[in-house]
Order: sequence, then C-alpha cells, then structure tokens
Amino acid sequence: MPGYVRSGNSQPAWLFPFIVITVFVLSVLPLARLAMAGIAAFASGGVIDVFADPALWQATYYTLVTSVLGTIVSLLIGCLFAFLLTLTDIPAKGVLSFFFVLPMMIPPQVTALAWVQMSGPSSPLLKALAIAPPLGAPQPLYSVGGIALLYGVQHAPLVYLALRAGLMTLPRDGVEAARLSGASSLRVFRDIILPLSLPGIIAGAAISFVSCTGNFGIPAILGIPASIFTLPTLIFTKFSAFTSRTFGDVAVLSAIIALISVAGLMIQDRALRGRDYRVIGLSGASAAFELGPWRFLAAPLLWAILFFMLAAPFFALVAGALVPAYGVPLTFKTMSLHAFEEILFRQAVTRTAFINSLSLAGGAALGLLLLTVLAAYELTRRRDTVSRIVASLIEIPYSLPGIVVAVAFILVFAAPIPVLNVSLYGTIWIILIAYFSSFFAVSLKPVVSAFHQLDPALEEAARLSGAGFFRRLFDIVVPLIAPAAGASVILVFLIACNELTISALLWSAGTQTLGVAIYNLDDSGSSDLASALSVLIVLMVIAMMLLLELLAKRLPKGVVPWRS
Amino acid sequence: MKTIVSAAALLAASLLAVPAFAANLVLYTSQPNEDAQATVDGFMAANPDIKVDWVRDGTPKIIAKLQAEIQAGNPVADLLLIADMVTLERLKEERKLLAYKSPEAAQYDARLYDADGYYYSTKLITTGIMYNTSAAMKPTSWKDLTKPEAKGLVTMPSPLASGAALIHAQTLAAVPGLGWDYYKALAENGAIAAGGNGAVLKSVALGEKAYGMVVDYLPIREKAKGAPVEFVFPSEGVSAVTEPVGILASSKNAEAAKKFVDYVLSEKGQEGFLKLGYIPARNGMKLPEGFPARDTIKVLPIKAAEALKNTDQDLKTFSGIYGSN
Repeated sequence: MPGYVRSGNSQPAWLFPFIVITVFVLSVLPLARLAMAGIAAFASGGVIDVFADPALWQATYYTLVTSVLGTIVSLLIGCLFAFLLTLTDIPAKGVLSFFFVLPMMIPPQVTALAWVQMSGPSSPLLKALAIAPPLGAPQPLYSVGGIALLYGVQHAPLVYLALRAGLMTLPRDGVEAARLSGASSLRVFRDIILPLSLPGIIAGAAISFVSCTGNFGIPAILGIPASIFTLPTLIFTKFSAFTSRTFGDVAVLSAIIALISVAGLMIQDRALRGRDYRVIGLSGASAAFELGPWRFLAAPLLWAILFFMLAAPFFALVAGALVPAYGVPLTFKTMSLHAFEEILFRQAVTRTAFINSLSLAGGAALGLLLLTVLAAYELTRRRDTVSRIVASLIEIPYSLPGIVVAVAFILVFAAPIPVLNVSLYGTIWIILIAYFSSFFAVSLKPVVSAFHQLDPALEEAARLSGAGFFRRLFDIVVPLIAPAAGASVILVFLIACNELTISALLWSAGTQTLGVAIYNLDDSGSSDLASALSVLIVLMVIAMMLLLELLAKRLPKGVVPWRS
Repeated sequence: MKTIVSAAALLAASLLAVPAFAANLVLYTSQPNEDAQATVDGFMAANPDIKVDWVRDGTPKIIAKLQAEIQAGNPVADLLLIADMVTLERLKEERKLLAYKSPEAAQYDARLYDADGYYYSTKLITTGIMYNTSAAMKPTSWKDLTKPEAKGLVTMPSPLASGAALIHAQTLAAVPGLGWDYYKALAENGAIAAGGNGAVLKSVALGEKAYGMVVDYLPIREKAKGAPVEFVFPSEGVSAVTEPVGILASSKNAEAAKKFVDYVLSEKGQEGFLKLGYIPARNGMKLPEGFPARDTIKVLPIKAAEALKNTDQDLKTFSGIYGSN
C-alpha cells in the first residue's frame, strides 16, 4: 500500500529539508564552486595558458591511454574470476573470492610500492633469489604499461563484483533447456550466458575506467619517476609549485577529469540502452558447469594469479621493510627490524597518521551513518521526483575522482567562512567534510537496501499505537536495519582509512593521514619505513575484512561485496 | 536505542580525539623524516614544556603549501628549516619572516646568517656524485657523467622538487666549462631529473641507475649501513646549501620559535646534526664519519642575490631541457 504509506503525516517537518540542505552542502555547493572557478578562468582568459600548456595534453593522453589499457586488464582478470567462481564447481570459492577482492581494499600506493619492491634490479626479493635484473636495467613498472597493469590489478575486483551480480540472476532453466537439447557447454556459454552477462561486463568496465582516471596513488609512485603525468598527478604537482594562478588552473584540470569520468559513464549508459535483458525464470545459476578434469587447470590458474597479485607483492613489501639499507640483499644475517621499530616507536608522524586516519574514518563512518539512516528512511518512503534527484546528487561526488572533490572543497573553504570567520583549510575538518561528501553514497547503499526489505506495516502499526517518529526509529527501524548499518560503517571505515587522493591535497601539519604518510615516506627516500607502514596497513585491512566476514551471516544479501 | 547512543558516543569520542593543533610549535622542514624526528626529539628533550609538530616535504613543495595557506588566510607553520638561503631571502623580501638576533650567532661565520637575523644556516650540505659500486666507471669529475659509459645511467633530483637541486643547477650553470650546455649534454646522454634527493639515492642504491647527483649525507650514511654506494666530491668542486632556519612573521608562538632557533644553533643542537651525518655550520665542530677533511672539500661559489633574481628563468631553462616535471 505505497499510497497509504507515502503520506508520512507524522514525520517531523524538518526531516526532508534537513536532508536537502545536507546534500546541498556536501554535493551541490562544492561542485558549483568548482564550475564557477572554471568559468571564471575561462572568462579571464587565463584558460588559454592552461590549454596552451603541452603538459595538459600530455597528461590527458596518458590518463586516457593508461585508463583504457588498465580497464582491459581488469576486464580480463575480473571476468575470468567471475565466470569461474560463479558458474562452475571450482573448489574453495569463498576463500578465492575473499582474496580476490582484497586488492580493492588495499591503498593503491601500497600496491604500487609492493610491486616496485617485487620487480626491477632493486627487488630485495629477487636479489635474495639471485634473479634480479642487471644494474641500470630500467624498472619496468615505471612506464605506461606498468601503470596500466597495476590499474588492472587494483580494479579487477570491481569488474568481478559487477559481473557477478549479473551472473547470480541468470535463469537456470534457460541453461537447462539448452543442455537438454544437446548444446555443448561452450555453446551454452557463448549463446546464453555471454549475451546475458554483457550488462555486467559493461558496467564493470565503466566503473573500472572511471576509477582508473581518478587514481592517484599508482601514477604518483610509478609515473612521476618516469615523467609520466596523468591528470590527477599533474594537479598534485601544480599544487606543489603554488602560484597565484594555481586555484584557477587546477579547477580547469579537475573539470577535464570530471568530463572524462562522465563521458565514461555515458558510454556505459549508451551501450546498455536499447537492449532488453529481462529474463524469466528461476535465478541462481550456481554451478551451471561442472569443470570435470578442467578443474585441475582452472583452480591452479586462479591460485597462481592470486599469488602474483597478492602474495608475491606482499612478501616483497615485507622484504623491503626488513632490509637494513638500499641495495642490500635480504638474508637472515642482514635482516633488521629497524624500520618497524622506527615506525612504531620513534616516528611521531606514524602515530599522528594512525590517530588521524582512524578518527577521520570513524568520524566519517559513524557521522554518515546518522545521516544515511535519516536519508534512507526518507528516500525510501517518499519516492517522488525530488527525492530521486536528491538520491542522484548523493551519488555524484562518489563517482567523481577524489582529486576533483578535494579541489572543490579547497575552493569552498580556502577563504575563512563568512560570518563565522573560521578557516577550515589547513585543519582536519576540511578532510572530514570532503570524506562525508565522497563516501555518502557508500554509506547509503547497504542501508537503503535494508530499508527496501523492511515491511512498512511494522512501523505503521507502531504509528497507529501512537509512537512518535524517534520512538519508531529507535525501537523498530534501527534494530531491523542494524546489521546493514554495521556493514555500512565498516565499509566506509575501510575505504576512508586507506584514502590518499583527497587528503594528499588537503593535509597540513598534524593532519597527515596514513595514505599521505606512506607517500611522503617513500618520496623522501625512506622506502623501508614506507614499506613497514604499508605492511601494518595491509594487516589492518585484512583484519577488518575478516570482521565483515564474521558479520556476513546476519546481513542482507549483497552488502558484503565478496560474499554470494 | 542503545546502539544509537553508543554510536553517538563513539562518534563524539572519535571527533574529540582529533588533535586540533595541540602542538605549541609547528615546524615545516625538508629534512628526511628520521632526521626531522631526531631534531624535534632533541629540542623537546631540552625544552620539555614545548611540543613540536612537524611537516616534511621537499623545499619547493613546503613553500607551495605555505603560500597556499597564506593565500587562504591560515598559515600553520611557525618555523622553517629548509634547504637553502635563497628561498628564505625571498620570504624575507616578501616580509614573511620575523627578525630575531640569536646569541648563538657569534659562533658562526658571518656569511652563514642574515645580518638582520631573519635566517641562520644550520649545516653544510654539498651536492656531489654517488655511484653504485657495481658500476663500471668510477666518476671523478662532473663531466664523466656525459661519457658514453654513463649513457642512460644518470639520475638527478629535479629543482622543482628540491631546493638543494635548484641551487646545485644554478651553481653548475655559472661554472665556466659546464653551464647549461653541460645539462643539455647530460640530457642527450639519457640522464633523467625527477623527484627529490631521496629518489636519487634509492634509484642508484637499488641499481636502477648507476650514477646520481645527490646531497652528500644520504649516500655516506647508506654506505655506513652497508648499501653498495660510494660518494665522490668531483674535481671541479661541489655546490652547497646550508639548510637555514627562520621564524615566520605570522607565528603565534614567536617566543618558543626563538628557543628552537637557539637550540639548533647551539653546540648541543649542532652535535645532533653531526650525529645524523651532516657537516655542522657552527665553528669548531668535528666532521661526521665518512667525510674527507673540511679544507679538502672545494665548494663552488654562488651569488645568492643573482640566483634569487634568476630563479624563475633558471627553472624554465631546466624544465625546457628535462620536461615539465
């Protein structure tokens, strides 16, 4: 009875305006300010200098090339895992899935650092095995190919998750009917499964492409030493050589990244339009194919890929943290815990970074939860045009690269806030607000899906018995959505803890985040310390993912990304 | 209800845990992390009532951050301890610095500090050549790096990322027989310029490149730890920066900042730098292990005022040769 429920006459009058104002501050205001700065740069003619700068076109070119190649790599790996883990009877699916999603949760600069440690003449690991390339051999990862490869590894889980969501709803009877008519497995795959999984593949490709264009950690570590600048790293370097024109320049550069992202999403939209993928029948095509003897090939292949994606770089990272000095081969005799000691007990910046990242992540996760419970309640109850617009406004900052969000918030808060006369720029609060903006959508999704599963009758009954809004919220709604809320908190916490791109532009004295600390340590030549800190962070990520795994049984389907 | 209350309590706690500038002093420095921490630790041990928070980045980046903060009306730093006098001279001319006459100055060569007390040199950091011990050639002169043996094997810090690298380029550019033509010849020989001195150290020690232009203390220290590197003072001479300290005019803690200046110039503070492997600027101090006698190190001259005037043009010339980084 949606019509009956919709009236919402006993809901507080402030609720919807409150949400609209919040979304205005978090999405509309910063993006409008960014657009204005861009337009102002156009109007003042300064934009001609920006566009005449060959560095801009070079960076745009590198951004596009690395992103397209990276998307292809992530499609190859992501599709392979999605098809094998969803459709076949390959053993140890849960474990494979857990490990395969792991790279997505690891900060990109840690991924980059680990791979650098793993390859090239530098690798302590290869040196220990005495198979390191000769002196002066170029580090192969400092190249367009290297950046694209790591984009692929980092974003393959996104393709995997998008495609798997589609594969889960494949009609089982279609496959069975084809089988009964004598179609071979290959035929079934080509004629039934592949066409129906196209939307998932396209969606995965689009998400991967957009994430590639906005990635900062990987091109910062792999690109800058080889003078390969993508748009996000170019913005970062522009800030590193601040002039009076910097704000205008980066506004224009951000606008270009935003345009590329939007173009990527529009191509996806275009590709999906005009096709009808509706299917009838029972879904849940678990193990449609029996691998038979092929499993002896498929399972080792997946484990080997995981080994190269995760285990080898991780051990390289550990080795990099244990060597006493650069270029010393790692042996039991040379091994030293100096880097861990320095990071844990001497460097004030580690403690500051841990406190900052954990409080920012905790503040963002819990603060957003309060917002999302109210927003999800209102958005699922109202279902009118205005609330649809509000819902899509919440999505926009999340789909834009972090560097664009950071620039937008710098523009809004660079000058002291009028009336209050408080400066947020250079404080931790500007990072927190930018996190709120960027991760609102992440926090909202699990809560909204829980609200959709909620029977409105329960709340109606309470309302008829005279329970007020907060009473209903706390006694009925919140307990029912609690598991999803928990998942929302952990997801935002995980993502915010590992964030680099936003804080790389917004940090200041005492407000370094973990991402910034790792980047700066590596940049100052202390890559042993950077590796040691990275090792600690990877362990922390795994611990939080395990926590989510333990919660998983009590959650609505689809909230924990790697579970079926 | 309970969940919400505890969630709200947690939120409040996490927000309160955010350190909203509990520090008394904020130092912006270009020293590597471990050195910056050691310097600050030494100061805090001598002045237990003052807490120092510090930020490390390359000199140009630190200055950019400061300029952005000044433009936003909220400069955070009280003190600068960065690579070169030229940068501080520029800030002095822009009236961003506070004059303070430190009593310790009497122990310093007059050329090493500003007569009005705007900044004081703390150490001598020279830039020479480091090489990986498995490299075929042992360079002794800057010109060796343009030889065919070094083709594609040379790296150097970019003046856009490092203050010392900028002074180094400006110094070599003024040497007869070297000049910008030398940098062009290096580029033609496949040399690259990217990142700061840390990146050069890493690249050469790890064998990605065989030769690098780099500040002295990094390879000398790494060699002592067992890294396969050597540092040479080339026959033409080395460039030098003096990592001066200065107080910002906008400092809200000028008294504490003055104590910091006195500390880094004091014998104790200078010994701290010596222990870290730097050549102290103070008269009568010893040299760290691994350095040749001080009078055998030939330091090439640089005219600070001229360098300051030409900085923008020099950066453009350099970028023109080595690309936009």
